[in-house]
Amino acid sequence: MKNPKQPKKNNRTSFSKSIIFSLVFLVLGFIMAYSYSLSQEEEAARNFDGKSFSEEEKRFRGELIEQQERNKSLREELQEKQATVQEYEDSFSDGENRFADYTEEAEALRRYIGILPVKGDGLKVTLQDGDYEPDSVNPNDYIVHESHVFQVINELYISGAQAISINGQRIHANSYIVCTGPVITVDGVQYPAPFTIEAIGEPDVLESSMKLSGGVMDQLVNDNIIVTLDAGQKISMPALLTES
Amino acid sequence: MWLSILGLLLGISLGLLTDMQIPPEYADYLSIAVLASLDTLFGGIRAHLQGVYDDKVFVSGFFFNIVLAAALAFIGVHLGVDLYLAAIFAFGVRLFQNIAVIRRILLTKWAEKKEVRELQG
Repeated sequence: MKNPKQPKKNNRTSFSKSIIFSLVFLVLGFIMAYSYSLSQEEEAARNFDGKSFSEEEKRFRGELIEQQERNKSLREELQEKQATVQEYEDSFSDGENRFADYTEEAEALRRYIGILPVKGDGLKVTLQDGDYEPDSVNPNDYIVHESHVFQVINELYISGAQAISINGQRIHANSYIVCTGPVITVDGVQYPAPFTIEAIGEPDVLESSMKLSGGVMDQLVNDNIIVTLDAGQKISMPALLTES
Repeated sequence: MWLSILGLLLGISLGLLTDMQIPPEYADYLSIAVLASLDTLFGGIRAHLQGVYDDKVFVSGFFFNIVLAAALAFIGVHLGVDLYLAAIFAFGVRLFQNIAVIRRILLTKWAEKKEVRELQG
């Protein structure tokens, strides 16, 4: 009875003993390793005061300088960008001015091509056939020809007329004026004398250009035509396409 | 045997991996605990060699010494007296004594063995 019991008890005690030993060694290992790691940390902390501290400081200073340089370059970039923006704004306001110019130009061009009715100061030129002269053989000597009308119109255009009409009919770039006997045809519409040529522009300029010595006025008078200039009137003209 | 080695390795790895921070004034406790555990360990070895080894004495001594040393240091810190020096001194002296005894026993054993071998030879 004693014999079989003995090894079992022995086995059991050795097992519990090893358990206890493992526990003891676990605590021992833990304490030693922990104190080891703790002392390592302490040493690292102590080293911080000396060389590594100055190194750290140097590193931070370098970083700071880097950042400042970066800031500087960014600031410069910002200024550049702002300059560009200002340029854009300037060009934009320029463009607005130009836009206004364009509008004026378009307005002027519209007057030239005559698609809009216009009103303004201008000069009124009336060409009338000369008085009947029984001495004269040729009635062509004293009636108004289309060449006269051309002269007047050209002179008016040259001196800055913006819109011209003959007897209330607008003249445009493609207008044609033909002499058909005693009447002249303007764009297919026949008009007898007297011809009233109205021009919108500076009245003074138009009048004085007509009155240049040796100019249109003199020539017309030489051709026995009665010319009347009437400046300082408000002239209104219909648009080209309106029925007169 | 293997279980105890396993426990040792586990304890070491646990201690290295622990990221717990303790204030530096408590580091003294740890040094005393280390000293106490080492002292108990060598005391156990000596007792084993002398043939007076007892599990209960060893294990209770191991933990009790650690706790006692830590408690002594704790009281010392709070009283303003360096009581942990007493623990260090006591454990240090005992550690050296134990190691000296172990050395002597081992030397005697070795000498006996040599004598026996010579006699046999």
